[in-house]
Amino acid sequence: MKFYFPDSQDLVSPTYDFQHDEYSPLRVRQRDDLYAHEILDTPPYSGILVSKSIVDGAMKGAGKYTSAQRARLYRLGVERFFRLPKGVESLGDNGAFNYVDELVPPVTVEETLDFYIGCGFDAGVSVDHIIFGYDPLASLDDVDPAWAERRRITLRLAEEFITQVSEQNLNLQPVGAAQGWSPTSFADSVEQLQKMGYQRIALGGMVPLKTKDILDCLQEIDKVRLPTTELHLLGVTRVESMDLFSDFGVTSFDSTSAFRQAFMDDRNNFHTENDAFIALRVPQVDGNPALKRAILAGRVSQKDAIAQERVCLRVLREFDGSAGAIERAIAELDAYETICQVNRSHQAEYERTLTAAPWNECECSLCKTLGIEIAIFRGTERNKRRGFHNMSVLANKMKKLKSNVLTSTTRSNHG
Amino acid sequence: MADRYEMRLPAIRLQQGAQHIYCFGVDGKRIHDFATVSRVHRDDDQLQGYQRPEVLSHIRAIRRYLESDSPLLPNAIVLAFDERVKFEPSAPVGDLSYSVVGELIIPVDEALPDDEKPAWLVDGQQRSAAIRDADLAQFPVAAVGFIAHGEAEQRSQFILVNNTKPLPKGLIHELLPDTTGHLPVAYARKQLPALIMTRLNASAKEIGTPFGGRISTPTTPDGYIKDNSILKMIENSLYEGALYQYRDPSDGSADVQQIELHLNYFWTVVQAAFPEAWNLPPLKSRLTHGAGIQSLGYVMDSLTEGVPAAELPGLDLEKAISKLKPIVAWTSGTWDFGPDNVRRWNGLQNTPSDVSLLTNHLLRALR
Ligand SMILES: [Zn+2]
Repeated sequence: MKFYFPDSQDLVSPTYDFQHDEYSPLRVRQRDDLYAHEILDTPPYSGILVSKSIVDGAMKGAGKYTSAQRARLYRLGVERFFRLPKGVESLGDNGAFNYVDELVPPVTVEETLDFYIGCGFDAGVSVDHIIFGYDPLASLDDVDPAWAERRRITLRLAEEFITQVSEQNLNLQPVGAAQGWSPTSFADSVEQLQKMGYQRIALGGMVPLKTKDILDCLQEIDKVRLPTTELHLLGVTRVESMDLFSDFGVTSFDSTSAFRQAFMDDRNNFHTENDAFIALRVPQVDGNPALKRAILAGRVSQKDAIAQERVCLRVLREFDGSAGAIERAIAELDAYETICQVNRSHQAEYERTLTAAPWNECECSLCKTLGIEIAIFRGTERNKRRGFHNMSVLANKMKKLKSNVLTSTTRSNHG
Repeated sequence: MADRYEMRLPAIRLQQGAQHIYCFGVDGKRIHDFATVSRVHRDDDQLQGYQRPEVLSHIRAIRRYLESDSPLLPNAIVLAFDERVKFEPSAPVGDLSYSVVGELIIPVDEALPDDEKPAWLVDGQQRSAAIRDADLAQFPVAAVGFIAHGEAEQRSQFILVNNTKPLPKGLIHELLPDTTGHLPVAYARKQLPALIMTRLNASAKEIGTPFGGRISTPTTPDGYIKDNSILKMIENSLYEGALYQYRDPSDGSADVQQIELHLNYFWTVVQAAFPEAWNLPPLKSRLTHGAGIQSLGYVMDSLTEGVPAAELPGLDLEKAISKLKPIVAWTSGTWDFGPDNVRRWNGLQNTPSDVSLLTNHLLRALR
């Protein structure tokens, strides 16, 4: 089972000064910074997924790349730009999410291929149009016409896509995009894509589906799937179900969820193989927008906040795991929450985190060098490192799947 | 604990017109005991006064400096006192009628809320916060104070003091290469590009030193290529292009000599390909204009990325650059950017969109 990490320019700065919370004034974004596959001993994924809309911009605002970075990606190619180690693959797609509100995709097959070939991807997904809805009872004909139209568009563009790839003899593995709203419609899409010649098919629009619904679709698809056809699940994590998925031909998936939970989730910020913990919130007085506004409005005293922020950091850095240290840390974190006027106290959850001290158990290179810092919810440098840690946990979980084969390099690094 | 007392500080009173100012020294650690940085408070839900949050990154930078080996803060902080602060002359007026020695008496009440303290910090907020936060037992600073009559006068002084013009950018860029020690972030990043530019400009005006004496700076007024065009081109390449290879990401240092070699090699080829356009000022030539310099900078990145300076001769850049000859209109004629986009030679501006238009035009010809 291969896991792809969708790129969103998520890097960390190796020269970041944790003690003073400062970047080197000379740091150059992206070039000096490190990707997860560079800062961890072992790449936590077998490939990266790069969306055209993130690089080139799309309907919803500009892309995440500056024009200079974009130019360099095209100039150097995806492998050199991302400094990918051998064995880490690249997969391109359009980022259909960004134009989901449009009637038709605002991007042509030609432009998409220019992106894939220009950047030198190993594989690329055909242009698709997401259907946001699931109705297992709706038949192929009797369904919201807009859904049917989106599936037609996706199939027509897939046909155009694979035709161009083979006519121009392009060096790219074509991945057909399948859209649908029910097991039947997905199965029909897969059947048509196979007829066009696709040997690898990406299933889209499954992010909001329940695991059971995904399984229903896979089961139906399996009735038409050729033994050689490999399936990719776009944006779906569910590690616990991957063994089941793999029985139906799923060989890869992509997801940001383990990474993003490190700073987007309310509580499951720090993952371990069998559990998840809340990270310890010590917001930066000068970096946290909500806190900044409260200070400007005169609701929070900047002086008190700075003083307590420091106390919290000091107490956490001195943390030795003893009962007294746990108590002291909780008291200071609590005092900081009070000053910052946080409504809900996290005392009980913090106690669980501090008692377990999961960063001590972790073997990843980030936990080993950072210690408790990685469990502090504070600023992008700590939060993204915790996200990278979560991905390494995910990689470990996947290694234990019965279906799993991570990339060969990943395994060889482990002897 | 004695939290109400008088602070008596030796001071000199100066007569300025109809007013007095007081020069004195005070331990920076104690400034916040009697001075406020803002007069903000809420009155029946109405925001009174003015709050200026501290710029913590700036404070941190000063603090790091203060904790360094031999810090020096020579410029005085400025305080506006209210009428509770008094001055007592200790000696009779001497020969200098405008200058009197004595003591400044500041009533300190640590329990007072911020907005009722007898002094307002008009200038030096970041410095005094840095001193307060620094790991130092004490740090005396020079201070200048005046007794203001009412909050309005304090306010007007605040605006006057904080309204000084910053130094002109060009001058700062020229000073940077020979500056050592602590620099603000924005200037620290400019230091290396400025140093490279200075070295490019220092050589003689001949083939092999394409930029020598041609870059216009406050001390090289005869130069005609804008310093900013060159700085931008260098910065771009240093951070996103061919010059990045000479940089050490762990400390931001760089092999300046190789960078100079790289730039001189490439731009000599440009100079040799377009000798007339290279010798004309931007008004008469788009090559020496911001648009030309930056676009060709991108061409340099595209042709030489990852190739060390010593190997540039092997690339046959002369041939590549000569491919541009039929499609450029540096000094006359028109630019043909496509069926609906033909511009007169000087119809190009130094805007990001024109620079990228020209860059794409040039790069297409090289493919
Ligand atoms: Zn870890």
